[in-house]
Amino acid sequence: MILLLEIKKLKRTGCLPAFLGGAVLAAAFPLLNMLVRSETFTALPGEPFRILTDANWQMMAMLNILTIICGACMIYHTEYANNGAQKMAVLPVRTYQIFWGKFAVTVLALAGMLLFEIAALELCAMHWFPDYHLQLTALAKNLCFSLIAALPTIILMMLIASVCQNMWISLGIGVILVFTVSVFPKENLFLSLCPFNSPYQTLALAAQNGSEWIFTLICAAETIIFGIAAFIFDNVRRYFL
Amino acid sequence: MNFMSLIGVELTKLRRSKIILILLAPVIMMWIPSIVNAEIHFDPQGISITPEYNFFIQGFMGMAWFMIPASLVICTVLLVQTERSHKGLLKMLSLPLGSAKFCLAKFIILLLLAALQMVLSIGTYYLSSAIVSQLWNYNFILEPLYVIPEVLKIYVSAIPLAAVLWMFATLIQAPVFSVGLGLASLVPSVLIINTKFWFLYPMSYPFYLLMIAYGKAAKGIFETEIAWLPWLPTAALITVTALAVSCIQFGASERR
Repeated sequence: MILLLEIKKLKRTGCLPAFLGGAVLAAAFPLLNMLVRSETFTALPGEPFRILTDANWQMMAMLNILTIICGACMIYHTEYANNGAQKMAVLPVRTYQIFWGKFAVTVLALAGMLLFEIAALELCAMHWFPDYHLQLTALAKNLCFSLIAALPTIILMMLIASVCQNMWISLGIGVILVFTVSVFPKENLFLSLCPFNSPYQTLALAAQNGSEWIFTLICAAETIIFGIAAFIFDNVRRYFL
Repeated sequence: MNFMSLIGVELTKLRRSKIILILLAPVIMMWIPSIVNAEIHFDPQGISITPEYNFFIQGFMGMAWFMIPASLVICTVLLVQTERSHKGLLKMLSLPLGSAKFCLAKFIILLLLAALQMVLSIGTYYLSSAIVSQLWNYNFILEPLYVIPEVLKIYVSAIPLAAVLWMFATLIQAPVFSVGLGLASLVPSVLIINTKFWFLYPMSYPFYLLMIAYGKAAKGIFETEIAWLPWLPTAALITVTALAVSCIQFGASERR
């Protein structure tokens, strides 16, 4: 119910086309890379899907994060622009349900984006590496891993967007966080688990370090912690905002 | 009402916007890893660069590549959204003044905010290089006659980019698209800078100038001379076109 309402609210904000646009841009990276210099990649040893993600996933993950930031800011901007949030607060609806509705919409949109991007990577692998065959289970595993890795980022960004009523502040905080994690070293396991940094991780890389389960569990735990924080904040926000 | 007082009015609108905090946070953030991991500047990994230049260039790398364009995007959101509540733009347009003047005044504010961020980044550079010099007993501080012109060059090269982002903000009504387009277009600038057509892409200008500075400080990393000829006319053309389009389109959806 609340989910359908939230999807309805996104009509004419351009959010869903923006998510689609982000997915198309991200999917264009491996395609362009292979079109321009395919021989540098086909000559590399190893598993084709791994080669492609190693070469392109940094850029694609960054685009995904930026799309999440944009989307989250916009989704809450629709509430704050004409005091919609205040009107919602007097309706017989629990306001934290709105948060979960918005979170669910963003997760679904990102799942769609990731499906599109991973499908593009698979197609590139199948086209340029002749002895590569489609493995649906591996594809599904990659999709789930990338989605879970992105969950802390999504929920933290939703939390920031729900706290700040002005769009430029939530956008600013999001962009500053992206910038901050980009200047810190990537190898550190602790830092790679932080929100805004975890989406850069790929399943192959995590499996190589043997940390895929720890990584998944900690990302899930972070999501729950931020979810609780959002719930608490929602109950106390009228005291100081 | 002359142009200067229009700018003054725009400046008053920035009050309580907290934009200075948003501009200040990244310039502090960009030096923290450099201070914490200062020893990596002594190990240039086969590149012939002195630690003090390494510190300066590595610190400004993220700034020129990501944060300057991103800050400009945030500032355009600020400039557009402050007019949104209570139909501010509609009231502005009903005043007996040309809308192009308003548009240019807002663009000047955008440039002023970017200039403020550059000043802040120079300030934090000297602060952090002084801290690192104390910690490691090595003089990391470069002379202002080198630092200020380099940062000024990066700033000036960001003006075409600011004009293009301002054009996006005035042309595209849905904020999600203008912001998304601005943010998405800065991601591939690292790739584009290595192609022949970098001068057509304003998002890569600040990073290009930083790479030139890198090339001068460390031989063989990048070109050492700025390729003025295709760049300067193209950049001027892009700036003028973008500003003209944004002046014509400013408030178009309110006027219809």
